[in-house]
Amino acid sequence: MKLQEALPRPRQLPRGLLWATLVAALAAQSVLRWAAGSVQAGSAAATTPLYVSSGKLLRDLSLGYEGLLADIYWTRAVQYYGRERLSGHPRFDLLGPLLRITTTLDPHLIIAYRFGAVFLAEKPPGGAGQPAEALQLLRRGIVANPQYWRLWQDLGFIYYWDLHDYRAAARVFRAGSERPGAEIWMKTLAAAVAAKGGDLRTSQVLWAQIYRATEDETVRKSALAHLEALKAAQDLEELDRVLVFYEKQAGHRAGSLKDLVRSGLLGRLPLDPSGIPYIVAPDGKATLGPGSPIDLRLIH
Amino acid sequence: MIHRILSIARHTFKQSVRDKVLYNLIVFAFLLIGASILFGKISVDIQRIILVNLGLSAISIFGLLIAIFIGVSLVWREIDRRTLYNILSKPVARWEFVLGKYLGLLLTLLVNTAIMAAGFYLALFYQDRRFQAQDVASLEAIYFILLELALIVGVALLFSCISSLTLSAVLTFCIFIIGNLLADIRWFGSETHSTLVSAITTFLYYLLPNFSLFNVIGSAAHGDRIPGHLLISRSLYALLYAAILVSASILIFEERELQ
Repeated sequence: MKLQEALPRPRQLPRGLLWATLVAALAAQSVLRWAAGSVQAGSAAATTPLYVSSGKLLRDLSLGYEGLLADIYWTRAVQYYGRERLSGHPRFDLLGPLLRITTTLDPHLIIAYRFGAVFLAEKPPGGAGQPAEALQLLRRGIVANPQYWRLWQDLGFIYYWDLHDYRAAARVFRAGSERPGAEIWMKTLAAAVAAKGGDLRTSQVLWAQIYRATEDETVRKSALAHLEALKAAQDLEELDRVLVFYEKQAGHRAGSLKDLVRSGLLGRLPLDPSGIPYIVAPDGKATLGPGSPIDLRLIH
Repeated sequence: MIHRILSIARHTFKQSVRDKVLYNLIVFAFLLIGASILFGKISVDIQRIILVNLGLSAISIFGLLIAIFIGVSLVWREIDRRTLYNILSKPVARWEFVLGKYLGLLLTLLVNTAIMAAGFYLALFYQDRRFQAQDVASLEAIYFILLELALIVGVALLFSCISSLTLSAVLTFCIFIIGNLLADIRWFGSETHSTLVSAITTFLYYLLPNFSLFNVIGSAAHGDRIPGHLLISRSLYALLYAAILVSASILIFEERELQ
């Protein structure tokens, strides 16, 4: 008899029992994981720590994989923004640093500048309410990507919507419109915003440029309408000054512009750019005549 | 002579292919490339950038791991298993053995990278259902990854001729890290205002392989092509430095006493 046959065989564990134990243990750990997840989600919005705040340091430590790290930080910024926004008591303390790190790691990640600026500039609770930080982010984007004109557009919108600085917005839109590949409407935007900011002269110059440069008939018609509205607005301003002068001299308001012609203050009845005479409104101010096609709302 | 070198290279390649670690790494790389498609979906508007960054980084990282872990065992394994004595007892010169080993692993890396690159381009195609002109930039980046790997294999081979397995792996990885930070090291040296430290860091800057020259994954993700003069100059740099590393390995191995 061989020795192996003489020895008692070790008792085997039933395989069915092993499988059942394995499945039960897997199910049990899933329940535990689920419970742990619920506790985490139930606690107040967990603060996300930022272990390394220097983008430059992270760039050095990335060993050439800074693009990948930038994508991770951008995704982290998006997730952070979304989580805070849905938390009910949003705080966006880390949004600026996360975006700074992202754009330091990858200065050409345009989306991080564009969306990041929107996240930063929007008023709470929708955003961080930090337009100054948004401006800084976009300016850095422009320095890193000087050819990308849309960053100028975003910068202009922050000035326009969030800071209500129309003159600055117009300057930025105009600068952006001069970048290679910029759409013609950047110029129209600059012109319109300049008018809104009260800078009618700049607006007129820009609309005149658009009128001369465009080959699109719709844009040309729009530019012409704006130029006519601007001219009418300037005429009305001038007429108001003459009406005030008349009232001081005559001791009463002018009933119509014919009074000004009769008094010699005007050589003839003034016409708007469409050829329809201006009139005096009941409040004593000059206004467009009935049937005039000029739309002054274009510049207000 | 060439026949003998190619025989050793072929043998090294077969040996590497038989190595199960190799397959695991490739599977992991494919998983990572696949994951990049999913990862892109949870971010905003940069799916393609993420795919390129993650895909090329996966090719680079797994290539790096293969280069280090197989590279350091190239000579060591033959000594440890005493198969080296069989080889050297035949009419094979030591330098032929070292060169054959280097070329064999380079071939392994070339094949691995080609397989991973095919997977990467498949993922790119899956995402947009078409290729774009800017995808050529990724091909250039893969070429630069290969140049970098050629240098890392050289470093691993050099340490493999000098040191033990673990120490060789650690040292090769250290050189990789330092090689990526050379510009900073030189800058730190100049900031110390010490002539000696500055001289040492400048010396290291010119002595050690500059791996940061091959980091173009980030620009490839934005579709930026590499200018022709950089393609040529960096290829020449890699070729020259690889020749230095292999020559140094041969010199050391020629002097080594085998017991």
